[in-house]
Amino acid sequence: MTRLACLTTLAMVLLVPSLEAMGELRFPPPDFESGYEFPETTVPPPQDSVQEYVDAAVFLGALLLASHLILRKRSRRAIFGLVVLSLLYFGFWRKGCICAIGAIQNVTLTVFDSDYAIPIAAAIFFILPLVFTLFFGRTFCGAVCPLGAIQDIVLVRPVKVPRWLESALRLIAYTYLGAAVLFAATGSAFVICRYDPFIGFFRLSGNWNILVFGASLLLIGLFVGRPYCRFICPYGVILRQCSRLSKWRVTITPNECIQCRLCEDACPFGAIREPTADWPADEYRIAKKRLALALVLLPILVAAGGWAGQALRGPLARVHRTVRTAERVRLEEMGEVEGTNDFSDAFRATGRAASELYGEALVIRRRFAIGGALLGAFVGFVVAGKLITLCVRRGRNDYEADRASCLACGRCYAYCPKEHERLKQRTEAGRTR
Amino acid sequence: MTQAREQLRVRDAGVAYRAARTTAIVGAVFSGVFVVLLIANLIGSAIIGPARELTLDAMKLQVQKDPGNEALLAEIRQLDLRIRRNRLWRWEFGRKASYMLLASAVVMLVSAKLASLFVKGPSWPQPASDVSETQIKEARHARWAVVGGLAVLAACAGLLWTRGSVDFGQVRDQGPPYASMQEKREQWHRFRGPGGAGVSVYTNMPTRWGGKTGEGIVWKTAIPLPGRNSPVVWNDRVFLSGADPNEQRVYCFDAGDGKLLWRGEVPTAPVAAEAELDLMEDTGYAACTMATDGRRVYAIFPTGDVAGFDFKGRRLWYKSLGLPDNVYGYAASLDTYKDRVLIQYDQGDGSEGKSRVYALDGLSGRVVWETKRQLPNAWTSPVVVEVEGQYQFVTLADPYAVAYDPEDGSEIWRAECAGGDVAPSPICAGGFVFAIEPYAQLVAIKPTGQGDVTETHIAWRMEEGAPDICSPVSDGTYIYLMESEGYLMCCNVADGKMVYEHDLRESFRASPSIVGDKLYLLEMNGTMHIAEVGPEYNEIAQCELGEECYASPAFVNGRIYIRGAEHLYCIGQNP
Repeated sequence: MTRLACLTTLAMVLLVPSLEAMGELRFPPPDFESGYEFPETTVPPPQDSVQEYVDAAVFLGALLLASHLILRKRSRRAIFGLVVLSLLYFGFWRKGCICAIGAIQNVTLTVFDSDYAIPIAAAIFFILPLVFTLFFGRTFCGAVCPLGAIQDIVLVRPVKVPRWLESALRLIAYTYLGAAVLFAATGSAFVICRYDPFIGFFRLSGNWNILVFGASLLLIGLFVGRPYCRFICPYGVILRQCSRLSKWRVTITPNECIQCRLCEDACPFGAIREPTADWPADEYRIAKKRLALALVLLPILVAAGGWAGQALRGPLARVHRTVRTAERVRLEEMGEVEGTNDFSDAFRATGRAASELYGEALVIRRRFAIGGALLGAFVGFVVAGKLITLCVRRGRNDYEADRASCLACGRCYAYCPKEHERLKQRTEAGRTR
Repeated sequence: MTQAREQLRVRDAGVAYRAARTTAIVGAVFSGVFVVLLIANLIGSAIIGPARELTLDAMKLQVQKDPGNEALLAEIRQLDLRIRRNRLWRWEFGRKASYMLLASAVVMLVSAKLASLFVKGPSWPQPASDVSETQIKEARHARWAVVGGLAVLAACAGLLWTRGSVDFGQVRDQGPPYASMQEKREQWHRFRGPGGAGVSVYTNMPTRWGGKTGEGIVWKTAIPLPGRNSPVVWNDRVFLSGADPNEQRVYCFDAGDGKLLWRGEVPTAPVAAEAELDLMEDTGYAACTMATDGRRVYAIFPTGDVAGFDFKGRRLWYKSLGLPDNVYGYAASLDTYKDRVLIQYDQGDGSEGKSRVYALDGLSGRVVWETKRQLPNAWTSPVVVEVEGQYQFVTLADPYAVAYDPEDGSEIWRAECAGGDVAPSPICAGGFVFAIEPYAQLVAIKPTGQGDVTETHIAWRMEEGAPDICSPVSDGTYIYLMESEGYLMCCNVADGKMVYEHDLRESFRASPSIVGDKLYLLEMNGTMHIAEVGPEYNEIAQCELGEECYASPAFVNGRIYIRGAEHLYCIGQNP
């Protein structure tokens, strides 16, 4: 049965986007010889602001409900129901926009560009999950995020990803977050939105490459739980840190862990941590040296990352349209490329001198030199930080959900005998009443 | 009691499992059907659609050759409509089928998940291992994995770094991507040089040379293909074109030593290739002089094929304007304004509305603007002139001289002043635009009006004769008119009164030029007559080239570039 599901889902994820990509096809306008004049291109009116408030209200309601279902009711079935509703509303109905993940860029641009006013909905979508995570753990990821929901639903046969591999893959998310902030801060692009892998499914149309990327993630998601959330999502990186500080969070057992080990394989996202044992004395000595080395590496990696980041200012700045246009115009002038493209044509139509454009491009490149250095230093810091973390032993007595990694999906509840006991007691108490 | 309940639960679970399984199978079957339909639709779109479009393209080409074929036109419209309908139908079908596939896949997925839940047994823990050792090993692997991840990131950064960036540093002061008017004045960037006036800003031109003796001949280079167009010079490069019924070429020579630096090919549009052009000998296959904006060089041929090249010989673009309907063969030369190529493309008898003036983007060949005009085929070359600080693009065809704004192609003024087969090009001198009606009159127009200025801005008409082929030249005081049979006339610019007439009794095709205080008149047999500019004909020198000449020479910085029937000559001081 699982094989059948896998095969059909595979066909679906490959074909739906391919067919919908046909929607991207446009044919040329007819060659009218009758003097017919094409109507002027019009821009659709801005979205009704009431809708924004409705979205924000639904979002707040969903977060409250998710937190209740995850922490108080502890019902996987109810959580799954909310997952489906979130997918339908924020995904298919609202077409995946606006989302908390993309709102990172709105917030960043607001900080760096005084001319940009952040939409109220974007601010709410960015802040609310952070606040809820600080109090209740990653309930947003568990039941409200449409990107997480679509992956959660297609998960059919989870396989365990080795923890070492997870540690390495998570670097992608940190790098992606840094790059997204850099590009948003420089006004270059909202890369998170541009490369949102599932938006094409929500809109049943989109860029072919992104649809294939999304389809591939869903395909992987049949076996690897929520690959985007765990290894790519930039907002997940922020939520991980907030979740470490959360006041309340998901616990496998409702009261006490009896070390039955039944929950060991319950989490498809590898978030359950087993109790730790004491290390041998010689291992402690080596670990201390290793930690010292990692601490020495910290400033080195930060400095090296910063240097590499600023050295990459040229290629990174190319994401900015002005730089891209300037480079294209320059290459055309030098005769190093054939013909023109839409950007260079559009620039020339303005009648501006190329020197002006080059001047602007150089200013942007300088910004990228600083931003690239910061991005590189951030990546270096993350790598060094991870190495330091991996050199430190953490004491744990019970099986528990990792504060940062737990996606609050509620799957583990049913594996705990104490949970069954609680449910039984609650049922009996209900009957008595 | 408990046992019976358990049996009931197991039985219910079995029923639920079978129901979920059956639903999943039905969902899978439906998904399969829609997958097949979508694949069929995809194949149809990828194969059938393009095939029909190719047929449509072929029919469009056919109708260009036979524009009056109404049946074919109707067929094209029908096919075009069918293609569009089919495309829309397939798109709509794909959309609906995608929804259905999505729905059936969701049903299948949910049912499959439910079915798997019904058969899922309890998960028992694996035998306990040495926790301490496992965790130490995991941490070690994780550290190496992070180091590996760092290496991958570094490799990606290295890969990104190799893509480099374009250096703007040296070009920041280079200015716009085209030469300024001042730069153009110092070069010979089009037919008859700056403003198409035949006047050079230089005064240091040779007055003695001999083709047979080699005196004054700096270099002489064979031109691979024939043509009647004139050389165009920009700094150290000389450009001209050549063509025969089989090929159309652009040549670039080194102005220093005459070496052929590169040759560029301009394709012939299929319509023109099949048309078997029968051009008049005096026009030939390469009558139109090229033009440059100082960064790129452009060429047009009587087939309507136009192309742009950079100075290294790389063809930047090519465009076919369609085979011109021209009695003797299209011969108008190009001009440039900013980074645009200006084309006067007159054809037919004027009543069919085929004539156009175009401005093409020099970098891409894209049409920047296009203005239709109800004028017949002409053989004049348009000029860009400066009037009160503004530029005008002046054209001449029977019966109007028309000026356009080179920025947007809008008409500024027109004056009725020409007739018949007009070949001499207009010039601007002494505050007038001069237009010629062959054999009939020279007309001086004040180019400051708007709309039809025939009644208001024609300053004078000189009706004692006018050239048939050669364009006039003026120093601002006198205007010189050379008839093709050697009859030279000189008139006052101010009032058009005849100053003198002189019969050279030879044939001329090249237009006269003025360099400083000297008038250069190039005979068809290759003899250059050099006379003083002034109120009487006073010949200073005659120089023989020894080769027939039809093109107008170029005069740049002490050197004269003359295109002979087979060679390109550079005349100056021998090195």
